[in-house]
Amino acid sequence: MSTLIVIDQPPYGSWAGREALDMAFSLAAFDQPVSLLFCGAGVNWLRKGQEPGTIRQKSVEKNLAAAPIFGVEALLADGDDCKRYGLEAEQLLDGVTLVQADSQLFTNYSHTAFAG
Amino acid sequence: MTEIQTLHILNKSPEHPRFARCLSIAGPADTILLIENGVLGLGAASDRASGKVMVLAPDMAARGVNSSAELAEIIDYERMVELTTRAQQVISW
Amino acid sequence: MQDSSPFSFTLVITGAPYSSQAPQSALSFAEAAIRAGHRVDRVFLYGDGVQLASALASPPSDEPQWPREWSTFLEEHGIPGVACIASALRRGLVDEGEQKRYELPASNLRAPFTIAGLGEWVEGRMSSSRTVYFHGSD
Repeated sequence: MSTLIVIDQPPYGSWAGREALDMAFSLAAFDQPVSLLFCGAGVNWLRKGQEPGTIRQKSVEKNLAAAPIFGVEALLADGDDCKRYGLEAEQLLDGVTLVQADSQLFTNYSHTAFAG
Repeated sequence: MTEIQTLHILNKSPEHPRFARCLSIAGPADTILLIENGVLGLGAASDRASGKVMVLAPDMAARGVNSSAELAEIIDYERMVELTTRAQQVISW
Repeated sequence: MQDSSPFSFTLVITGAPYSSQAPQSALSFAEAAIRAGHRVDRVFLYGDGVQLASALASPPSDEPQWPREWSTFLEEHGIPGVACIASALRRGLVDEGEQKRYELPASNLRAPFTIAGLGEWVEGRMSSSRTVYFHGSD
């Protein structure tokens, strides 16, 4: 029963993405198979070089880099949305897999959820 | 009654990015249930969806939206519960 | 193929009362599920949804008092209501235990809601037949 947690909102302006990450990491902590899908404006979570200390927030870059160690199976990003936001491969965090966020992708997961 | 592969519960208005994304993800064996602000997208959903579209009556009545049953099946909360039991997967957008 | 055997539901509410319809949609769904003979295993409040557990909501008398509507429903049917601790503490929803721990001037969690971690949500997902989410619509 593999879960897909979807993040479609950008970082730092709202908390839905952080809360989605917490859901994914909780599932992984309980040995439940889980992957993260970043789409829409959510792909901006995956941009290298974020320094949210300037606005008094914590960076998730380390958490995302450590995702495989925590047991998150994959960090998926919609390729078209990355292009739209000018995210070339070199600007993406390591370990991100580009995908098409289409109906085919979603059929691979028995449970799909947003955090809000 | 045929099984529903995925029930998509869509509460977002047609202006919200998730509305279009839900419609692009939903397949012919899926059912889209419009609730809350989503009922305002009944026309758009009926046009674009490859599977069935249903709409929640109380949310339509609240917003003064009328529709002939040809566009979509108009249901109540009882039926909404039943749909969640019949679908293999439920995604709330 | 009529399958009328009872299902069990975990309901997750992420939309706040008076900011979204989530608490109302979820309550109508939950009541219909009970009427149909199904079980609601638990209700999990996440993100802004934790506001539903506030003991201090004071809407005008001609509007539903959503925390009270939900606490009445939960108590009537013996259903656990859990507010996620991380979401709750950030937003200032605390029970007596957290009030003591953080030396806060008050607690405001409405019974029968309790505070717990995301493990409750994971447990619900694993043990309930269906997990249904009620989000805000922004």
